[in-house]
Amino acid sequence: MIVSSAETWLHKVNPSLKLVALIVLCIVALFIHDLNYMMNVTLGVLLLFLCFTGHSIKHILLLSIPFCFIFISTSLTMILFGKGETLWFEWGLISITEESFMRGLLVGFRALLFAALGLTFSLTTRPVNLFYSLMQQVKLKPKYAYSFMAALRLIPIMMEEFQTIRNAMKVRGFEKGKGIRSVYFKMKAYSIPLLSGSIRRAHRIAVAMEAKRFSDTRDRTYYYEFGFSKKDHGFILYFIILLLAGFYLSIQFPLLPI
Amino acid sequence: MERIVHVEKLRMKFPGDESLLFKDLSVSFDRGEKVLLLGPSGCGKSTLLQVLSGLIPNSIEVPMKAEELKWPTSWGYVFQDPDSQFCMPFADEEIAFVLENLSVPKQEMKERIQHHLRQVGLNLKTIHTSIDTLSGGMKQRLAIASVLALEPEVIFLDEPTAMLDPEGTKEIWDLLKGIGRDKTVIIVEHKIDHVLEFIDRIVLFNDDGQIIADGPKDTILSLYKNEMKEHGIWFPGVWDEYIHDNKPIREHQSSDGVPLMQVQGFSGFRKKEEKIKVEELQVHSGEWIVIRGENGAGKSTLLHALMQFIKTNGTYELMGTPIKRVKNLTDHMTFVFQNPEFQFVANSVYEEIAYSLRIDKRTQQEIGERVHSLLEVFRLEAHQDKHPFQLSMGQKRRLSVAASIVIEKKIILLDEPTFGQDSKNTFALLEWFEEYRRRGITVIMVTHDDHISNNFATRIWTVKDGDVISDEKVSTQSGFVETKVLSF
Repeated sequence: MIVSSAETWLHKVNPSLKLVALIVLCIVALFIHDLNYMMNVTLGVLLLFLCFTGHSIKHILLLSIPFCFIFISTSLTMILFGKGETLWFEWGLISITEESFMRGLLVGFRALLFAALGLTFSLTTRPVNLFYSLMQQVKLKPKYAYSFMAALRLIPIMMEEFQTIRNAMKVRGFEKGKGIRSVYFKMKAYSIPLLSGSIRRAHRIAVAMEAKRFSDTRDRTYYYEFGFSKKDHGFILYFIILLLAGFYLSIQFPLLPI
Repeated sequence: MERIVHVEKLRMKFPGDESLLFKDLSVSFDRGEKVLLLGPSGCGKSTLLQVLSGLIPNSIEVPMKAEELKWPTSWGYVFQDPDSQFCMPFADEEIAFVLENLSVPKQEMKERIQHHLRQVGLNLKTIHTSIDTLSGGMKQRLAIASVLALEPEVIFLDEPTAMLDPEGTKEIWDLLKGIGRDKTVIIVEHKIDHVLEFIDRIVLFNDDGQIIADGPKDTILSLYKNEMKEHGIWFPGVWDEYIHDNKPIREHQSSDGVPLMQVQGFSGFRKKEEKIKVEELQVHSGEWIVIRGENGAGKSTLLHALMQFIKTNGTYELMGTPIKRVKNLTDHMTFVFQNPEFQFVANSVYEEIAYSLRIDKRTQQEIGERVHSLLEVFRLEAHQDKHPFQLSMGQKRRLSVAASIVIEKKIILLDEPTFGQDSKNTFALLEWFEEYRRRGITVIMVTHDDHISNNFATRIWTVKDGDVISDEKVSTQSGFVETKVLSF
């Protein structure tokens, strides 16, 4: 779960602020209908993703593969089958028009932007830090924050249990069954022990947490304290400049003629 | 003496149960006492521990009533499962979680965390160490460290070493002896060898959750031996008595002819890393092989490799056929897992045992006969309509063994089959394996229990650092021990 990486200034931005800023940017992106503007903003975010997450280039390129695929597939469907006036090419069902091409690219870039924002966030934020910050800045109830953190611990344990159940099924001759009935059986045989195991574990952890005097009061102290710093100003400023400069450039020096 | 924990006329009942778990139970503990609660599994000792600490009813809602109930003002609780008592991913964060709950200022935290880790002898390279990388024993140390962070007057221990090997068990008890010296300690534990020197009082329970004896440990141990034996409690000397009464005999079957299993230059891989290596081993029918070694040495991995759960290399033949060409490995070998719950596939105990027979398309009559005979042998007739998950831990274990061997296989592999079982169930299982062995079936088991290797095994493999380093034959009849050292 935890991928080691170098710490960059993005890691030091307040996690709650980062989360809010990125959500706002996603919403803003929904209202951008100008392709040039969209491309500028996306390039600005890709710059952050490629250069400032602190992960190796190899790792980043590997993570980008599914998103390139999303970009190509979303834009292609719109490009090939969208409606438009200025016809460029037609062959059977496929008709590429100028309008469909532009709209396709717009949708593709929007998908790419969302992906880049999400990845940048998750690559530079430890879940524990996010929840600590949410408790301190957004006043999230400790009850919810700590249950999420405890749940994250359960994921690797569940994966291990899944492997064990698979081996156990093999021993019982489970693989021999065929057909829909056996698929149904398999689903049941995997999910019931997995779920019952997790419920039991979650209950045990909850009891253990209360045994350590956990209560839902807000006057607790924090091992990690989060405030705001110059990095946060820089982070906000980066996006404001990106939105403004992107808009200016898209009018003065459009990358594509529209 | 000042009473620090006290309950008077406790009555409680789990929803859905027919009878009361406790009926008018009274018990009290003085400051500084070290007390062991002892009783058959399922008698409610752990539940009582939770009532005494206030976890019931404050955290776990169970209907209960008591005329008088005094909880300690400050207490800590160590649970048995090392994996499900932490809520944070790193060691320092886990102790910090306790300190946060107590509103300790942030500036003092680092120092307190280091202090508590030192107290339990947990020397980590950095306090920010991932809990997943710790061994079971280290996890329990961390759990004790976070309990110490609470600065408790009373420490409750609910089988803190149930999931640890003998080495880890001893270390944890040595640690607790030092830490608990000036505290009140109330313990529930089945493996009592190491606990006895530490405690001064024993409270003995019967099956119905009643206290049958309460007093100084020596008195209880000498006066109530028969009750303890009857209830399957592991009192000191239970093995000696069993051997005295039963005298298990291990004679060798002839080991000529084609070996049942043969491996040479064999290794098993997990995530492309070689985790277990065997130079050469041959297994014949009617052997009882115990695999020994420290936690993490690769004992379970060896079983997994033999069962082909993981990728393997080298020569591995089953009755002269290379393993890759053996069509249905599970027709010849079976495997019993450490956690029996993972193995259950059916909705009732009866169907669970019948499952493999149905896949094998046996006749209805044959299925009925076979299942009933197994239900009887494993003392599960009364529960045949229950869902497997409703059984007690000991019953689940017996069911998982019964279901695995319903179609007789030539080899049975078992991963810690007696783990967490009381003495009665342990002996029943062992006797049953012994009977199978005499019929020519080969039993290969991983166990930490030296008594099994000393009294039942005909052969012992020792695994160290992913290597099978020795293979010795043992026999009680002729008294000879032949050791074959494989490698160093």
